[in-house]
Amino acid sequence: MVTHEDVLKIARLSKLQIREDELEAFTKDMDEIINFANTINQAAVESSDFDHINRLENVFREDVVEPSLPSEEILRNAESQEDGYFLVKKRG
Amino acid sequence: MKYELVSGLETHVELSTKTKIFCSCSTKFGGEPNTHCCPVCLGFPGTLPKLNKKVVEYAIMAGLATNCEISNISKMDRKNYCYPDLPKAYQISQFDMPLCKNGYIDLSNGRRIRINRIHIEEDAGKLVHQGGNTYVDYNRGGVPLIEIVTEPDFRSSDEVREYVEKLQLTMKFIGVSDCKMQEGSMRCDVNISVRPVGSEEYGTRTEIKNMNSITFMTKAIDYEYTRQIDVLENGGKITQETLRYNESDGTTSSMRNKEDADDYRYFRDPDLVNIHVTDEEVEAIRRALPELPEVKRVRYISQFGLPEADALQLTKSRAIAEFFEAASDGVKNPKTVANCIIGQIFRRMENDDAKEKFEVSIPASYLKDLVLLLDSGKIRMNLLKSTLDQMLDSGKPATEFLSESDLSGVDTGDLKKFCEDAVAANPNAVADYRAGKEKALKALLGSVMKASRGRADALEVERILIELIS
Repeated sequence: MVTHEDVLKIARLSKLQIREDELEAFTKDMDEIINFANTINQAAVESSDFDHINRLENVFREDVVEPSLPSEEILRNAESQEDGYFLVKKRG
Repeated sequence: MKYELVSGLETHVELSTKTKIFCSCSTKFGGEPNTHCCPVCLGFPGTLPKLNKKVVEYAIMAGLATNCEISNISKMDRKNYCYPDLPKAYQISQFDMPLCKNGYIDLSNGRRIRINRIHIEEDAGKLVHQGGNTYVDYNRGGVPLIEIVTEPDFRSSDEVREYVEKLQLTMKFIGVSDCKMQEGSMRCDVNISVRPVGSEEYGTRTEIKNMNSITFMTKAIDYEYTRQIDVLENGGKITQETLRYNESDGTTSSMRNKEDADDYRYFRDPDLVNIHVTDEEVEAIRRALPELPEVKRVRYISQFGLPEADALQLTKSRAIAEFFEAASDGVKNPKTVANCIIGQIFRRMENDDAKEKFEVSIPASYLKDLVLLLDSGKIRMNLLKSTLDQMLDSGKPATEFLSESDLSGVDTGDLKKFCEDAVAANPNAVADYRAGKEKALKALLGSVMKASRGRADALEVERILIELIS
């Protein structure tokens, strides 16, 4: 059973603000989501090993340098930048 | 009440691979900001990380060198946290299935520091805080790290120092990291608590993050140890918190308390598949590991009869040890080679860094050939020393500086003549010696050595001189 505290904690971790009057609705929604996801636990499987879905393993690359992107490309979508750095501006 | 320190260490070591852990960007230190970046290490949507094979190999080497078990199956997980140094808002790390576990490092006082685990993960970007703004450079983001986690087995800051130095030496020796603390390629988080001596329970611990100097680390531990005892003695309680060490005044202060414990919501990274290492692969890596510095040190003492201090100096880096081994291969007395390295070659090295790199102007075989001349009685120690200096100055072999007559040694008749001349030329020294001043003989000896241009055997000269003047 999901509690109000669970929802508040997840909201905090996700940097979301939830109003007091929204809390009950979110708690109910989340409980339903968890219950829905829980149906997977009822599946009859032989092994409890949680392997990769494609049964792939050891996908590696060799240690060989390839060109990086030009920094103009890297910074192109940045909201703000200065001297080649991403800039995180002071808040408030 | 008497208290004891209980401390554990998490050490991050940057691996010296050429490329990042999940993409082919360069790991080179420095460089203009954000020039070693691509959509993968910046965590752009739709990109697919692919694990660098060398990272797995290096981490296994590190694990074997610290007596760890290597997991046949391990996997990568996402550690979620929100901070600008991490563009994806999660770090790819290993949570419940690390690559290496249950290792240890033994200390010189006989105590064993258990290593709980070594896992592989990506480094975060670098933040520069300036004028209230934060500048972000992601060149370091995605550089491969191993995190080496000990059990809380340290009981003094000296033990911490020895462990870190040993770890540093070992990692450099096997070539998986340069472990430069000042450049951040090795850094430690220290957990510290105290408890009454004899108690089995652990006290509440504090953590100091990102220490990048061994000296400051030991100071911080000593300060924190005393601070915690003071708090307890005055009836207070230790708060579980993360601390910052202030290098300027040697104190610690709170960064954030841990009441609101971190919740990283670890889960398997669905983009990355299991790492499966077979026992055969692990054994192949084990066989390829160089002999570890500690093993070498013990062997130099037992096999070559070197003093402990010499053995320690010669195993400070792999370059030194390899030079020493190559130069002493087949010589009668490896101590002579050790003396040449420690006495004459080290003196030419500017600092510890240069010593470690040990770039010598002559190959080890030149030194070996020189020492073999001593072994066969063709030259004497003082001629060896002066010749070695000339060799080091020029990078040329011994034969360039030794003439036929140098190599022929000194004829017995000549030697007697030199001695007689010395006695005749130094009546005062002779008189002093006869009066019981044994030191006076040195003056005569020096004179003979000069006349023979260093080729005479000092013991033989002494014998003849005593015979002449007694």
